[in-house]
Amino acid sequence: MRNKATLFGAAVIAAGALLLTGCSSASDEGADSADGPITLEYWAWGTSQQPLVDAWNASHPDLQVTRTDAGGGTDSSAKLLTATRAGNAPDVALIEFNTLPAMIVGDVVAEITDYTGDARDAFTESVWGLTSFNDATYGVPQDVGPMALLYNQARLTELGIELPTTWAEFADAAVAVRSADPEAYLATFAPGEFGGFAGLAQQAGAEWWSVDGDTWSVGIDSEASLEVADYWQDLIDRDAVLAEPLLTPEWNSKLNEGNILTWPSALWAPGVIYGVAEAQAGDWAIAPLPQWEEGNSDVAFQGGSAIAVTTSSEHQEAAAEFALWMNTSEEAARIQIEAGQYPASIVGQELTLESDPPLLMPQQTDYWEVASKIAANTIPDISWGPNVNVASSAFQDAAAAAITNGTPLRDALVETQKVVVEDMKTTGFDVAEN
Amino acid sequence: MTTTTPPRPTPAARRPRLQHQIAGTSRTRGGTIPTLILLLGAAYTLLPVAWVLVASSKSRSELFSTFTFAPGTGLWENLQNLFAYGDGQYGQWALNSLFYAGFGSVLSTLVSTMAGFALAKYEFPGRQVIFYAILGGVLLPGITLAIPQYLLMSQIGMAGSYWSVLLPTLISPFSIYLARVYAMSSVPTEMMEAARIDGASEGRMFVSLVLPMMVPGMVTVFMLQFVGTWNNFLLPYVMLANERMYPLTVGLYTLLSKGSGEPALYSLAITGAALSIVPLVLLMLFLQRFWRLDLISGGLKG
Amino acid sequence: MSTEKLQTDAASMLVEGADPPQNRRRRRRLAPYVFLTPAMLLFVAFLAVPIVYSVYLSLRGYRLTGGGAFGRRRQVFVGADNYVSTFTEPEFVAGFTRLAIYGVIAIPLTLGLALLFALLLDLPRAKATRFSRTAIFIPYAVPGVVATLLWGFLYLPSTSPFSFISEELGWGTIPFLEGSMLFAAIANIAIWSGVGFNMIIIYTSLRGIPSDLYEAARLDGASEWQIARQIKIPLVAPALVLTGIFSLIGTLQLYGEPTTLRPMTPEVSQTWVPLMKIYRDAFVRDDLPLAAASSVVLALGTLLVSLLVLRLVQKRAFGDDS
Repeated sequence: MRNKATLFGAAVIAAGALLLTGCSSASDEGADSADGPITLEYWAWGTSQQPLVDAWNASHPDLQVTRTDAGGGTDSSAKLLTATRAGNAPDVALIEFNTLPAMIVGDVVAEITDYTGDARDAFTESVWGLTSFNDATYGVPQDVGPMALLYNQARLTELGIELPTTWAEFADAAVAVRSADPEAYLATFAPGEFGGFAGLAQQAGAEWWSVDGDTWSVGIDSEASLEVADYWQDLIDRDAVLAEPLLTPEWNSKLNEGNILTWPSALWAPGVIYGVAEAQAGDWAIAPLPQWEEGNSDVAFQGGSAIAVTTSSEHQEAAAEFALWMNTSEEAARIQIEAGQYPASIVGQELTLESDPPLLMPQQTDYWEVASKIAANTIPDISWGPNVNVASSAFQDAAAAAITNGTPLRDALVETQKVVVEDMKTTGFDVAEN
Repeated sequence: MTTTTPPRPTPAARRPRLQHQIAGTSRTRGGTIPTLILLLGAAYTLLPVAWVLVASSKSRSELFSTFTFAPGTGLWENLQNLFAYGDGQYGQWALNSLFYAGFGSVLSTLVSTMAGFALAKYEFPGRQVIFYAILGGVLLPGITLAIPQYLLMSQIGMAGSYWSVLLPTLISPFSIYLARVYAMSSVPTEMMEAARIDGASEGRMFVSLVLPMMVPGMVTVFMLQFVGTWNNFLLPYVMLANERMYPLTVGLYTLLSKGSGEPALYSLAITGAALSIVPLVLLMLFLQRFWRLDLISGGLKG
Repeated sequence: MSTEKLQTDAASMLVEGADPPQNRRRRRRLAPYVFLTPAMLLFVAFLAVPIVYSVYLSLRGYRLTGGGAFGRRRQVFVGADNYVSTFTEPEFVAGFTRLAIYGVIAIPLTLGLALLFALLLDLPRAKATRFSRTAIFIPYAVPGVVATLLWGFLYLPSTSPFSFISEELGWGTIPFLEGSMLFAAIANIAIWSGVGFNMIIIYTSLRGIPSDLYEAARLDGASEWQIARQIKIPLVAPALVLTGIFSLIGTLQLYGEPTTLRPMTPEVSQTWVPLMKIYRDAFVRDDLPLAAASSVVLALGTLLVSLLVLRLVQKRAFGDDS
């Protein structure tokens, strides 16, 4: 019995050692030889990414790309920061627009102005401005999320509610929905939706970060933001909107029961709703987001990302080439549209006009016309600060606490402002006093 | 092998159950209440397990619409989707868990046994210091070390590799402590002396005589290590960025947190969780005969 | 291995079977160090050095260099700044308060139930002990993350059988994850996970008590309850202390359960317990030095509390110190 035990132990150790030597190379970065094909490592999330990468690999045998899903936007940015320090960051990565400044300041992304050349012309001025600062380019925009109102047309008609075009009408509609059907809500206020709330505040004219020369200004608790906070607080107090996180099992079942009637979000939203409530295809439609003033049409962005080349990459030019193809070629744009992204590139946006509407709203044949009108009205020059991650986590916790404790949302904004400014000052940024 | 019997607690099975014969049948009657309470306890612990087994049989749409304990029709479909997800990521996660826990525990048991034996059976300068260092290590919660270990690993560029998760689990002060307790009670010094007189080297004596005697203790240490590593979440979560290297715990968590954006993943997370419980339960049922958990409290009595 | 070499040297010089005393003594002196080497190396590498490195890192911070609006954050020495931040951060302290509430529920219940079940298992008249013992031990095999997943779905109104039943009875859904019930809900997960393991420790300790100790009592007509109270419990006190300390350390380490519940309820913030704040600082706020400082504080605090508890029950624990 002793011999068998030692034999077993030895076998396990041998097997383990073999596995280790074999496996440790699995975590190596993109291997490459001097003249042979180069392999780039690419971190990206989302359903469009693998088909895009596959298409690239098929047509570029000498420059192969392996894609890893390192988590969603927040998770992968966090991992990028620590991976860069540890020396095992990828060559290219998908980064949300609002996190890009933090990535620049954290020395994660490389300046690629020299490699992007004419690519500037492939985008509108305001879109290009999302990845270029002071004439230095740090990424190539992939998709944008102009904000819009996604609504369950069938249910609104059923309850006899007219589609609101201003926020005042929206508030009235929210109350009307509650009396028409006590189980239903017009919309949700989710404390975790930092990006969404920021977009709404920006639509009202707030500038959460702005830079003047070398000095930053933080406007998270500016009048415009506080007014938006008060607006939603009022709706929450009157039980006119649901105050819960989005996309939880709870929320999903309410949605499926037809008890959540709209989602103020962005052009990438139809895919998400379809994933949760396939059975409601044909019931939903898209419309411009309500406005503060009758007749306006400005909206901000919510989400959207760019592909950036990392400072750790040893093939920055090749990586930039990949990024450009992914975000400006027609072939890539088609794949993007099919996967539910709204392309950032002009050629992509023009292609959408030839495409079928998203699976969620096959009945809205003018979907892409509406979408491109919305996209044309986005507010230019929205800047994000160098510590959006700090703002996001502070806002999420403060807003959640406000809802649980019944304190005003505007206090959450004031708290967030305080944390953000303090953090920027501690790091050494020059921040203007309000 | 039967020359000496360890002086420590008699194996539980051998304690004679004569009480009820002596005092008559009154001892066996009236056992309903204790039995009931125990069964209630069993029901409490088995409830979530039952739930997850039933829930994994439900298809995506049935999950939120049918009554909790009504079995569904989607088990096969769920299993197929689970293993197909991400090019077989679940299978990879299971293999990773097996590697970290299995391989790691074998090595760790060896390390702990050697160290425990040395501390128990030898007098040498520094013995006290080392022992107190080990005790200090026991009182230091492992999880608070995960982030410092990560910081260190990333400094030397090893974060994100299989080593980074494997190596830190090899040192377990508590296992060393257990091994020491067991060595003290099960390895007679006289036998060691006899072996030395016969001319055996220390190493030879350890391998041929000591190790076989310490097997029950080693099995206990192995089991504790295996379960501890299999269930470990924070260390691999912090160390690894590549999804293909995750163990089951981190992988399932990822499925769950992505599930908010893709509800189809909830079914996968549930099925995956159900499946992941099975091997460990089997392992424990199998090892039940061998472990000596009285070791843990055994070191405490005078 | 040097001992082997010594042996072959000696053997080659001497007649078969004999061995010079000085070589024997040298081998024996070196042997413990050899046996301890792997453990010591690992200990230094993965316990000692990380702690030292954390302390080093806790004295540093990321500050802006290169000026302008888009300078770069680099690591510099900042002294005790991070420690000041840690102690003045209200969320860190709040986290400990939550741990206290959680601990007050979880620890006594876990140990109490473990003791109860162990005592019941030890009763000769109890039936189905094998089954119950195994069943109660099963949660030990379930990782905290999975346990939270399971209980999470049992708490959520849309999938909870409890809420289903209470709705049928007309009482509405049970708000497991809201307000003060949240503490009980999380404590329940820990109790469910920990009862079995602690029960087995106490039970095996019980089984180690020689039965003649109670034979006399039983012959005298003492009830099982009296025997338990006056003989069994005092004798398993060391085991109780041990499980108590483990539960305490486990409480301070609480991380997986609240983290996994976060997507399901807005009541759990990103800094609900100290370890979550540390994780957030390290990975979301990208402030590793601050996380290092907080880790050092947490580790030292845990060590202190454990030592304190040990001191308090010194009489009953660790009887056979060397």
